[in-house]
Amino acid sequence: MTRSGIGRLPGSARVALAVVVALWLVAAASPAFASRAREIHLGQRLAAPSATHPFGTDDLGRDLLARVVAATPISLAIGLTAAAVSLIVGFAVGATAGYAGGATDLVLSRLIEVMLCFPVLFLLLALAALLPPSPLTIILAIGLTTWAGDARYARAEVIKIKDLDYARAARAAGASTPRILVRHLLPNALPPLIVSAAFGVAWAILAEASLSFLGVGLPAPAVSWGGILSAAPTYIEEAWWLALFPGLALFLTVAAYNLLAEGLRAATTEGGRKA
Amino acid sequence: MRRAVAAILLLAAAACRARHEAPAAATPVAAPTPAKAEPGLGFLDGARDGTPQEGGTLYRRLGGEPTTLNGILQSSAFEAEVLQYVQRNLFDYDASLRQVPGLAEKLEVSPDGREYVVTLKADGVWEDGKPVTARDVVFTIERIRDPKVPAPVYKSLFEDLEQVEALDPRRVRVRFKEPYAFRSMAFVLPVLPEHRFAGQRFLSAKDNRAPLSNGPYRLVSWKTQESLELERNPRYPWQRGTFDKILFRIVPDNGTAFRMLMAGQVDENALDATLKARIESNPPSDTCCRVVEFYNLDFNYIALNNRSPLFSDTRVRRAMTMLLDRASLVRDLYRGSARIISGPWAPDSPAYDASVEPLPFDPAGAAKLLAEAGWRDTNGNGSLDHDGREFEFDLLVSAGSDIGRQIDEMLAAELAKVGVTARVRQMEWSAFVGKVDAGEFDAASLGWSAGDPNPDPYFYWHSSQCPPNGQNDGCYQSAEADRLMDEARRTLDADKRTALFHRLHKIFRDEAPAIFVVNPTQKFAFTRSIRGVTTSPLGIFGIWPGPLGWWKKAE
Amino acid sequence: MTAYLLRRLALAIPTLFGIAVVVFLLVHLAPGSPVFGSSDAIRRPTGRAAEEMRRLYGLDRPLPERFATWISRAARFDLGDSFVDHRPVGERIREALPNTLLLNGLALLFALAFAIPLGVAAGGRPEGTFDRLSGAALFAMYSMPTFWAALLLQTLFSVRWHVLPLYGVASDAPGGGLSGIVDRVAHLALPVTCLTYGTLAFVARLVRAGVAEAAASDFVLAARARGASRRRALWAHALPNALLPVLTLLGLLLPALLSGSVIVERIFAWPGVGRLYLDSILARDYPMILGLSLLTAVATLLATLLADLASAAADPRVRDGAIS
Repeated sequence: MTRSGIGRLPGSARVALAVVVALWLVAAASPAFASRAREIHLGQRLAAPSATHPFGTDDLGRDLLARVVAATPISLAIGLTAAAVSLIVGFAVGATAGYAGGATDLVLSRLIEVMLCFPVLFLLLALAALLPPSPLTIILAIGLTTWAGDARYARAEVIKIKDLDYARAARAAGASTPRILVRHLLPNALPPLIVSAAFGVAWAILAEASLSFLGVGLPAPAVSWGGILSAAPTYIEEAWWLALFPGLALFLTVAAYNLLAEGLRAATTEGGRKA
Repeated sequence: MRRAVAAILLLAAAACRARHEAPAAATPVAAPTPAKAEPGLGFLDGARDGTPQEGGTLYRRLGGEPTTLNGILQSSAFEAEVLQYVQRNLFDYDASLRQVPGLAEKLEVSPDGREYVVTLKADGVWEDGKPVTARDVVFTIERIRDPKVPAPVYKSLFEDLEQVEALDPRRVRVRFKEPYAFRSMAFVLPVLPEHRFAGQRFLSAKDNRAPLSNGPYRLVSWKTQESLELERNPRYPWQRGTFDKILFRIVPDNGTAFRMLMAGQVDENALDATLKARIESNPPSDTCCRVVEFYNLDFNYIALNNRSPLFSDTRVRRAMTMLLDRASLVRDLYRGSARIISGPWAPDSPAYDASVEPLPFDPAGAAKLLAEAGWRDTNGNGSLDHDGREFEFDLLVSAGSDIGRQIDEMLAAELAKVGVTARVRQMEWSAFVGKVDAGEFDAASLGWSAGDPNPDPYFYWHSSQCPPNGQNDGCYQSAEADRLMDEARRTLDADKRTALFHRLHKIFRDEAPAIFVVNPTQKFAFTRSIRGVTTSPLGIFGIWPGPLGWWKKAE
Repeated sequence: MTAYLLRRLALAIPTLFGIAVVVFLLVHLAPGSPVFGSSDAIRRPTGRAAEEMRRLYGLDRPLPERFATWISRAARFDLGDSFVDHRPVGERIREALPNTLLLNGLALLFALAFAIPLGVAAGGRPEGTFDRLSGAALFAMYSMPTFWAALLLQTLFSVRWHVLPLYGVASDAPGGGLSGIVDRVAHLALPVTCLTYGTLAFVARLVRAGVAEAAASDFVLAARARGASRRRALWAHALPNALLPVLTLLGLLLPALLSGSVIVERIFAWPGVGRLYLDSILARDYPMILGLSLLTAVATLLATLLADLASAAADPRVRDGAIS
């Protein structure tokens, strides 16, 4: 377990952490905006940003600020859950492959390779378009298409660690494989995994937004930033704000998580060792 | 992809399968009365001033790439718009929806209504000099019937074909198993040159990409994803167009196409309400634009699954209709360019009874109806319930349809106020159709687009056509409506038939098997110099001479 | 070396098979059907006509049989005919591929051309001003969603300032010679930019990290001590080491580029493989989807193999299997 604490994070990462916390606070406060986000005012379609509508209105006259805020919890939750799925599946497969070695490793490595050889968006598209639409499907689709990266990583880490003394000692003492993995290897592999997780969240949020933008993402009414953005190209000439504000929210979030991950990586690796 | 504009999804035109006795000759559909006088609306484009410029190029826009140029294999408007210049139909519809001669000059029907004899014109000829013969027609129909040929548009029209044979080089006899009043519409059909397909596999024949022309123009080049170029066919014996060349530009995105129209790079483009507003607010330029707006036979509706416990009660369905503020839709979403409908036809269809008023927008009345039908908030959670079931459902809409989504969201907002939860779910097209055609939905936003003038409601509202047998997706079942539909299909007299349709209309309004929304206008913009545009209830393109009659005013 | 190569090739076969199975299952378990056609269809077959179409496309056969038929034909390089226009899958891919290759090739070229010098400059003076500034900029680029960047660029350069075209490969009637070339370049500008910046950021950060580490290592310090200039030390000594991880990741860059291509091709109406893939999915054009997936997977596999080979040639540790 990294005992670094917040103090060891570089300054930029601390800012990022603050942003992430702020985002979650916004997400928590979003139910207050939910009703405003749904109010349709056909008479005020595509209104430019003003005092009453700081972000302008969308193609049904709904306040864009309210919509962007209301979309926050969904975008964040999907990102986090998908990254978690990816990490858990990836670690399980990768660690097993690395630890077991031999035939198991061969087979599992092939599986990892299969997943890696797919352009992720291709696979995502196929999954998202072809499975019944729901938040769960999107989470699974994103998680299952990115676990291979984490698995490769976990496998490499486990290979590095498994022949170290304390692991051998545990084996000699008769500990079972899962126990060794969880109690001994996991704590040491954790720092890079946490870093990977943070990057994973950023990627997952981006992936979900891309899918929604392409029209195969979350079904309404559970709208996310990507979903709001999907209407932007149609009105690109009249309503630049439809593209700017949701995209800005997306960008800020992704950048914050990436920065946080960078900072965690810097904090958990000593002396310039490449993580 | 950004599909062609505005009109809502699900282009499912009437398949002529109803059983009917045929009249002695093709029954002309009653010429529709012109739309109410509104600025810019009308059936005929009266701009006939000026002298036609001979020669030159007409620049047309295609919203997507044609997948084939084989008339039998065609499936979408992109193919049809190109093929219209290159391969003539046996018969065509004119602007008043009458069936007029094309490659054929006469259609005779036997007294029992099952047998038709098509007589080709004497001078129909392919561009390689060979004449268009009865053998070509027989070949075409046999290919349509071939189980190895996917002919999406025509296959169902010939499903109960019994026999087809060439009587002599100019006459073809076609016999069907049963008589049917609208059967003559099956002969609005292109013809393939038999001699070109000999020795090749039909589906991969070269002619599918480079068709032999028997029409006023022939294909010069096809640059995939970019353009198709046509030039005059010197062998064409009949009325020529004024242009030497026609260039189709393939522009999937509406925004780009609009900009090209403004710059004069295309001469025509379909518009939606947004683009029309943009033209009207833009300063006029030398080239752009004249806007032609008219009502056709298309309309949108929200299908309700009549078999679901939510919508099996007529009162609930009426309440649903009363909760959609259609007047506001017309005013704000369509900017006035739409008419509310009270039944499954556009007001210009002969089946439509203008005296049948649509249900009013009445949330209070709707709430009362819902309560009468047993839907109350018994558990105090803000949502109506009945027999332990909450009133909530998924409202499906196809992902490509902006207007459909907007209408649905309006309805959902109003429903929420009375305690009904509608979740608007956008689905990708193929998955959407899968669910709707299987009847696995509660409510779905659909659109109806007329490929031909057939007003027969049988396939969409008769109880025998519930999924998976036909397209009565909501499975509306009414013994009386069934009886009227069966009788109308057997009725030869046009007036009696219309009276039956009008009675049906009243039933559809009262029983609200679906929420009938609006009949929107079709809007097109042309560069200023284009003249001779004719509009019709079938649109601008599917008629004769249609685009062939366009001309440019000489400077 | 040959042993390594043979081993990798042999291992690639089960991977390929696994890919084939995954894709096949994915495609066929989906709702919807090619029988429904596209949303522009004039008429949708129902009842008997639909049944006939299903039989024509082989959709009524059991899944294992369809898989066997497909995989045996694919092994003979026959990917079948597209359901949409009945042309061979290979032919349609051949038409679309050059456009995607052009886009992705240029993007890769520009990314590398800018990223390497940037990385060297930044890594040569870690924590320096340039490093900090460029780090922030690279970071921003790394985090920016492709489609958002595309929309913003379009709004600025096409809608606001009318400097660059909004969509497409070329204007119609672009004219030959210089004006034609200028026109094509103008159409390439925005899509290539959108594809480049992400890869650029990624590679630049990698190079920077590698150079920073290598610059502090003994042999580089020794080179400096021998009188080599800072510049030479960085470029001739530090950089080659830093490029090793870039090389290995190059194989993985390919699928990432292709993924980005889907979005960019769609936004800019670029007639490439990415757009073909999206359209085929929406139309349930099974042979097309299967063919494209298989081909991209094979291409990625090859690229990964080549990258691995290159790093094996450079680094003996890889050859011996210590690093996968």
